[in-house]
Amino acid sequence: MMDEKTRDDLLKLFESKLNEAMRLYLETCTRCGVCTEACHVHASMGQVKYIAAYRAEIVRRLYKKYFKGRGKIWPSVGEARELSAMALDELYEAAYSCTGCRRCMVYCPFGIDTQMLMSIAKLLLVGAEMEPEILTLLADTSIEKGKSIDLFKESFMQGLKRLEDEVVSKWKLEAGETAIPVDVEGADLLYVALAGAHSIIPAAAIFNAAKENWTLSFFEAVNFGAFVGDPTKTKLILDRIVSEAKRLKVKEVCICECGTAYRVMKQLTGKQPFKVSSITEVHARYIREGRIKLDKTMVDGAVTYHDPCQIARNAGVIDEPRYILQHLTDDYRELTDEPRYNWCCGGGGGLVAMGEDTLDFRMKSASVKVDQVNATGATILATACENCHAQLSNLNDHYKMGVDVRFLSSMIADALIQS
Amino acid sequence: MNTLYYLILVPMVYIAFAIFIIGTTVRLINIFRTPKHPATLQVYPEKKPGWLWALHDTFLFPTVRRHKPLLWIFLMVFHICILLLILGHLELFGEIEILQFIPHEIFLGQGLVGLIASIALLYFLFRRFISPVRELSVPEDYYLLILLFLVVLFGSQMDWARRWYFYETVTVEQYREYLGSLLVLDPYLPDELTESGHSFMLVLHIFFANLFLIFFPFSQSMHSFLSLPVNKLRRG
Ligand code: SF4
Ligand code: SF4
Repeated sequence: MMDEKTRDDLLKLFESKLNEAMRLYLETCTRCGVCTEACHVHASMGQVKYIAAYRAEIVRRLYKKYFKGRGKIWPSVGEARELSAMALDELYEAAYSCTGCRRCMVYCPFGIDTQMLMSIAKLLLVGAEMEPEILTLLADTSIEKGKSIDLFKESFMQGLKRLEDEVVSKWKLEAGETAIPVDVEGADLLYVALAGAHSIIPAAAIFNAAKENWTLSFFEAVNFGAFVGDPTKTKLILDRIVSEAKRLKVKEVCICECGTAYRVMKQLTGKQPFKVSSITEVHARYIREGRIKLDKTMVDGAVTYHDPCQIARNAGVIDEPRYILQHLTDDYRELTDEPRYNWCCGGGGGLVAMGEDTLDFRMKSASVKVDQVNATGATILATACENCHAQLSNLNDHYKMGVDVRFLSSMIADALIQS
Repeated sequence: MNTLYYLILVPMVYIAFAIFIIGTTVRLINIFRTPKHPATLQVYPEKKPGWLWALHDTFLFPTVRRHKPLLWIFLMVFHICILLLILGHLELFGEIEILQFIPHEIFLGQGLVGLIASIALLYFLFRRFISPVRELSVPEDYYLLILLFLVVLFGSQMDWARRWYFYETVTVEQYREYLGSLLVLDPYLPDELTESGHSFMLVLHIFFANLFLIFFPFSQSMHSFLSLPVNKLRRG
């Protein structure tokens, strides 16, 4: 049972999401079913509850009950629904089986954004304290780190020291150069990485090779606030990086291979004195300007590239990775004729961050992705997103695909020619 | 009987139009008064100019053509029929010069357009009974289709009845008198309209049309106004 007060609070959260776009998405669906084949979860598992419009309708039914006059006079006409404990369970099922890939948006005659609608569900779950705890925990840790940077600084610098040798092994430095510069005021580019070494070493080698005047951010790029659908936390996590960039007066903020981090940073920061780029864009630029040279013999076998949804379909970085791959291999194979139709890897929306709990579902819901990759016959599956990489690696193991799942940046770093 | 006819043909029409116009306007204002989304909601790769592609998406339904070709044919046919029927009804108010480039009596289609539209509506309706669209549909979706079907059916039957059974006492003139009088708020019902052999069809046609107009602002029919702005979001 849900008491009056809880319901009112949750409805206030609902209302806070009702901007113009959201209302358009809520009002327009004609339940035509054109989006049926769009969702990889439905395509892989077949249940009706995984059709985009079906998920959306779960949120829409609450909207019809509480935010349309009709909900009071004639609720049954739209199957309007009470906000109850059961409704919350349904919201959970809908929202945490949706990766927010927005492939359905390509099918819908109106372009209804299911990810947006699911963000209502996610926020209500946060309000009801029913969200996946791990995501909130991770988000809170990120925010804490932003508040008390000095506490973390020391161990952070220590950690970096250990990585420097590896950076140098990929690209030898001239005297006086730093392998991983940190906290450099007036640097041109602020690189925001992830916690793992794999996100820092290849990137650092490439920056050094391109003679970039760069500096590494103290913070991780990933935005768990966005995964859990908490706008306040999303903003706080974002602001840490914005203020660091302003403090160091950089011209460009470069986000590592992390789809959500890039999209949130690119589209939510508003007008700033710096520009936001994905690392893939930056690497393509280095090649175009002749700042780095790559050795094609370092890549052995046919290569295909998985477009991370939040970087390609949802943020427009599509040509750059292909341009880079032209310089890495002569045997590049597309997954789809049109990148906007690429299947999601099945790991977005926080599912990968939830780890083992979602593993079974992630494997079952992404069998279409596996078929798509297998059909290319490629032996190297490149991508440019941490989440996608983790999920694709899981798929590779689970389905015994026998491909080598690689980060695009590490392929570049391995192919650098030091003249 | 005559009182009933009068109620449907005069006061109910006023009420229906009032609800339709005021309801739609108020609802649109309410939607567009809310703050904009802070970030772009585009899908990439983008094509410029966005507004032109948004128009293209709104009026030609390219995604349906690609993924559900049969549905697309019916959708196109249906929406074109609706446009033609709206034009035809405007002619009931007065002569529209440019439409006479093909000289014709009203309605040009002589009930054929309505027939085609009702076939399309039946298709949409039966589609809803088949999974997975059945699981997606809610009662309003069926009601709207049934309502529209009835409107169109009785509308086109009027045309047939007039010619096949020689109810020719009713001509465009009577409609113009009736509709014109409604327009200037001085309602007048010519006897021919209520006493002809097929008057009941007219009354039913208008009755169901009234119901449709009353429900319109509160239903998914609003997609006719919202499709363009929502498509614009996708095109950026
Ligand atoms: S394609 Fe769009 S309008 Fe049609 S059912 Fe799906 S979300 Fe609704
Ligand atoms: S956003 Fe992706 S996962 Fe979610 S409903 Fe649409 S296609 Fe499915």
